[in-house]
Amino acid sequence: MYDNILIPTDGSEAAQNAVAQAVDLAEKYDATVHALYVVDVEATNLTLGTEQVDRIRQGRIDEMPEVQAEADEATGQVADAAATRGVSVEEHVSAGSPSRAIRNFVEDNDIDLVVMGSHGRSGLSRVVLGSVAEKVLRRTRVPVLVVDLHDEDE
Amino acid sequence: MTAGVAAAAGLVPAQAGILPEGLNVSFKLLPAILVSGMLAIFLAIGYVFKVADTEGMWVAGRSIGNVENGMAIGANWMSAASYLGMAALIATSGFYGLSFVVGWSTGYFILLIFMAAQMRRFGKYTAPDFVGDRFNSDTARAIGAITTFLIGFVYAIGQARGMGLVGLYIFGDLGILGLSGYQSMVVAMMAITVGYLTLSGMLGATKNMAVQYVILIVAFLAGLYVVGFTNGYSTVLPHIEYGALFSELGREFSEPFVNGGYYLWIATAFSLVVGTCGLPHVLVRFYTVENERTARWSTVWGLFFICLLYFSAPAFAAFGTDLYASEIGPVYGDPGMTTAAGDVIVVLAAQLSNLPTWFVGFVAAGGIAAAIATTAGLFITGSSAISHDIYKNLINEDATQRQQVLVGRLSIVALGVITTLAALDPAAPIAALVSYAFSLAGAVLFPMFFLGLWWENTNRQGALAGMTTGLVIWMIPMINEVVPTYGILADAAGADGVLSATLAQWVPAIGSALVAVPIVFAVTIAVSLATPEPPKKTKQMVRQCHSPEPMGQQQTAEDAISDDGPTPADD
Repeated sequence: MYDNILIPTDGSEAAQNAVAQAVDLAEKYDATVHALYVVDVEATNLTLGTEQVDRIRQGRIDEMPEVQAEADEATGQVADAAATRGVSVEEHVSAGSPSRAIRNFVEDNDIDLVVMGSHGRSGLSRVVLGSVAEKVLRRTRVPVLVVDLHDEDE
Repeated sequence: MTAGVAAAAGLVPAQAGILPEGLNVSFKLLPAILVSGMLAIFLAIGYVFKVADTEGMWVAGRSIGNVENGMAIGANWMSAASYLGMAALIATSGFYGLSFVVGWSTGYFILLIFMAAQMRRFGKYTAPDFVGDRFNSDTARAIGAITTFLIGFVYAIGQARGMGLVGLYIFGDLGILGLSGYQSMVVAMMAITVGYLTLSGMLGATKNMAVQYVILIVAFLAGLYVVGFTNGYSTVLPHIEYGALFSELGREFSEPFVNGGYYLWIATAFSLVVGTCGLPHVLVRFYTVENERTARWSTVWGLFFICLLYFSAPAFAAFGTDLYASEIGPVYGDPGMTTAAGDVIVVLAAQLSNLPTWFVGFVAAGGIAAAIATTAGLFITGSSAISHDIYKNLINEDATQRQQVLVGRLSIVALGVITTLAALDPAAPIAALVSYAFSLAGAVLFPMFFLGLWWENTNRQGALAGMTTGLVIWMIPMINEVVPTYGILADAAGADGVLSATLAQWVPAIGSALVAVPIVFAVTIAVSLATPEPPKKTKQMVRQCHSPEPMGQQQTAEDAISDDGPTPADD
């Protein structure tokens, strides 16, 4: 049923929360897991400065060791989880606005299921940050499994 | 109004209810459409590049060329202080105002010779990053970040004043919530700027900056040529022809130092030179260019683009002063031209030449473009100091990108609010307000960059002692001269508005770096010599910044020493 399962991750608790579900599904269907870390250009702009956005746009992420280390760590966690269950895994790094980068990845790589975590934000932080999961749900045509962090807590 | 500028201009402080006399304050349809259209273009460019960001993102090898980077340097650099404030000081203070032309262009030579290429070789993201990594200290990083934030704040007050004054010509007295016309305009323009930053995200920043540069330079030069031509002042080279006006303009132009002393002139120019080399939002452009050759050539182009405006500003000021004298009243003496009118002399000159409102509006729009481009750069640098250097590196090391976005956006809003509040009743003309930020950058950051790049034995203890000394020396004249104008300590201040006139004369807030820089250098060097040398790895990084061996496109000093671990020849 599923051949390529995408797990977008930013290394946060919420993202890691979805990994177990995704890996379990991948094992059942013998699917490949794709771990995707998106370098959020808006975050780069606000934290490292506009000039670094130019650098990323030029494809020079290897000049930014801290950014790359963060990406490797996030996708590495997914890869480790997949490896322990014997699921084949591919790690990817992209950049841009997270929801748009995820949508593009889905279209370009024949993804047939997206499994992602969500913080389940509400109120002010939802207005300021929005929900990536929500946008991915609206913008992709493939099934999306959203694992809410708050549900796990209860 | 600082004592320094007051003394130089021979003026009495006249700040209450800022209203530039002579300026036609009313809502004008064509200029309003022009300015709104310009702001819409900035937003559109930002949005287009936001969309384009994801596509073609990982296409390697596309790099920003010298000329484009030079234009970005020019737009990032030239703020309301260059566009309005420089001509204003030349108009009100004559020869003294030239210290800004000299200081701001000389700064780039120092940058070109001593810092641009070396900065590129060191390869860091932000100014606090450099300070933190070079001196292996989180405290140094924190002081660097706080200084960066402070610079953004102080610098932006001048931009807000400029936008508020120029906006008066275009939109008239908005009368928001019982604020004066100027104050309403400051609130409106700052709201637009912060909104612009959050909406467009400045993602098309380099493109936007190139556009902003083109608008501001065309507006300024067109204004100068048309004003010069219609009034019969000049024909093809107003930059030289304005000399014919000298005898009519008064002693401020023809007799140097008749009102302002040599010391203040030197102090101001020196502060502006070292400040240029220490400003985080200027230096940041050198971290990312392709290689050190591009770093150098970008500086040359940037300087060229900047000088186009700087050579024109004195001529514009002279025309404006002459028009003011013939149409409004005596420029010097009592009451004379207020600093508010001085700050819009560029727009006023166009208006007094009886040019159509759309053209005057275009000249005003150039000032707004200049202010917005620089404010955007400053706010982004300030927000990165908070969200990257303080929040991510010191408070929450596991912060996700989204948390950093939240902190970054809140910092920008906070900067917008405090800048607006401080600009409602600003302490000084635009150029002086901006100079305070230059004094700060020159006193605290410049010695750290310079010694950090050129003397490998500068260590953590030296840097901490030096930066603290710099901050203290910067604050003393600020408390002495600027704080009383906001009503704090006002009782202790004398009739001239300063706590100590002697201190204001020798350590003026506008040029405090002249005193601060030598002291900070001495303290940093003395403390570094008295304490243990920095680790060998740090020294190797410093040497790598000066190696004659060209570095690869994607290399930084840190990579270079870890690749082959060279034994330095002179060790």
